[in-house]
Amino acid sequence: MSGERRFRILDALVDGTNGEITSVRLCDVCRTVTDMTGAGIMLMSGDLPLGSACTTSDVSALIEELQYTLGEGPCVDAYRLDRPVLEPDLAHPSMPRWPAFTGPALAGGVRAVFGFPLAVGAVRLGALNLYADRPGPLTDDQHANALVMADIAAEALLLMQAGGSLGELAAELEAGSNFGYVVHQAAGMVSAQLDVSVAQALVRLRAHAFGNQRPIAEVAGDVVARRLRFDGEN
Amino acid sequence: MRSDVQKGASGPGSVDIPRETLLAHTLVELADSLVADFDVIDLLTLLADRCVDVVDVAAAGLMLASPDGELRVLASSSEAMRVLELFELQADEGPCVDCYRSGEPIVNLKLADHDTRWPRFSPRAIEGGFRSVHALPMRLRGQTIGALNMFRIDEGPMREPDVVAAQALADVATIAILQHRAVRDAQILNEQLTRALNTRIAIEQAKGVVAERANLDMEHAFARLRRHARNHNLRLTDIAQAISSKAMPVSALDP
Repeated sequence: MSGERRFRILDALVDGTNGEITSVRLCDVCRTVTDMTGAGIMLMSGDLPLGSACTTSDVSALIEELQYTLGEGPCVDAYRLDRPVLEPDLAHPSMPRWPAFTGPALAGGVRAVFGFPLAVGAVRLGALNLYADRPGPLTDDQHANALVMADIAAEALLLMQAGGSLGELAAELEAGSNFGYVVHQAAGMVSAQLDVSVAQALVRLRAHAFGNQRPIAEVAGDVVARRLRFDGEN
Repeated sequence: MRSDVQKGASGPGSVDIPRETLLAHTLVELADSLVADFDVIDLLTLLADRCVDVVDVAAAGLMLASPDGELRVLASSSEAMRVLELFELQADEGPCVDCYRSGEPIVNLKLADHDTRWPRFSPRAIEGGFRSVHALPMRLRGQTIGALNMFRIDEGPMREPDVVAAQALADVATIAILQHRAVRDAQILNEQLTRALNTRIAIEQAKGVVAERANLDMEHAFARLRRHARNHNLRLTDIAQAISSKAMPVSALDP
């Protein structure tokens, strides 16, 4: 059924939170929907503050610290290659990689580790960090959940920058308005108007939508139709 | 018929070439484009354009399902907002989503007759000047990954040879998206679908940058990106990325 995974994840995100945003909750849902031992969100783009957005455990924090310090690992690769990087058996990898990362990660109890890129079009934000304390590949279901989760997490990160709430994001995603290409066309236009990155332009569009209590797609439509500018040159 | 859904006046459809010849030309052209490292969005846009030339339709678009089963527009013969919106609307209802869910072709449906089936889509499509809609599944070994959607201005049925030709184009699209690689499992398929959809978003962002800087509408902004990519034998996706990240100024694009 169309959108089922997305709705399940959105429900999990907002369930009992009265819509208030917390990155801790975001991370926790990343872990539960993918049925992993631990999860984290690594920010790696220059467009947002670099560093960990959240981790569910000390081991997840270690996985991220190692990668920030060493500049290698599954999340670094996922971000650089812009595709999921899967290592189902870190102790016996099919190909040797991450020579500095692997030893300390194994010592920390990591047996399988997976990185999924966080991107919204050309905007690349970082990577979703998932690990398990026993080796084994992701099932097709876990893998599909992780892809959808990464999509939602990327949107959620931009939204947090705009001061919005997960509840609002959930409503927007459920209404489907978030995926209108018009939002992305408008983000490109606003980025040129303000000479900022597309990531920052997406944040500005969102903030404007929240501030004026209008759907983001409607605001974006005004930008594309040249009824609204963000540089004050109306 | 409005100008933005007209067939390209300089396209092969404007002269009286038999459809079989056009189809053969198109398949050769597409095969030539399926080189290593081709750009999937560029190829699929070409395919949508050719679909309009080869088959008697006013607009054609390809919609692809995300790993979550949600349909999104990947390429269309017209970038006019009105047309794109009609495609987008079908994430919720319309011939494309019905075709995707059933895996069966939906052909020759007159729009006025189906207002109860698609209460939101039909009035908007009619308002856009369309009278009949057609959708053919994009299938890979029994799994439907998306659909080719076609709009016509008249109500008459699509001829059977046109349906066959359009299905051939839909099949080429499926191969293109899967990028030659044998899809071993659902995970690789899902990764490729996700990647293709994200690429399209990146192109929309770049269109916005070009539209603002060069004071163009989205259709012309897209045409400019594509033209530059083709002229310099670069991937459309890479140009879009460079423009969005401001690594390349819009003024450096070919006019």
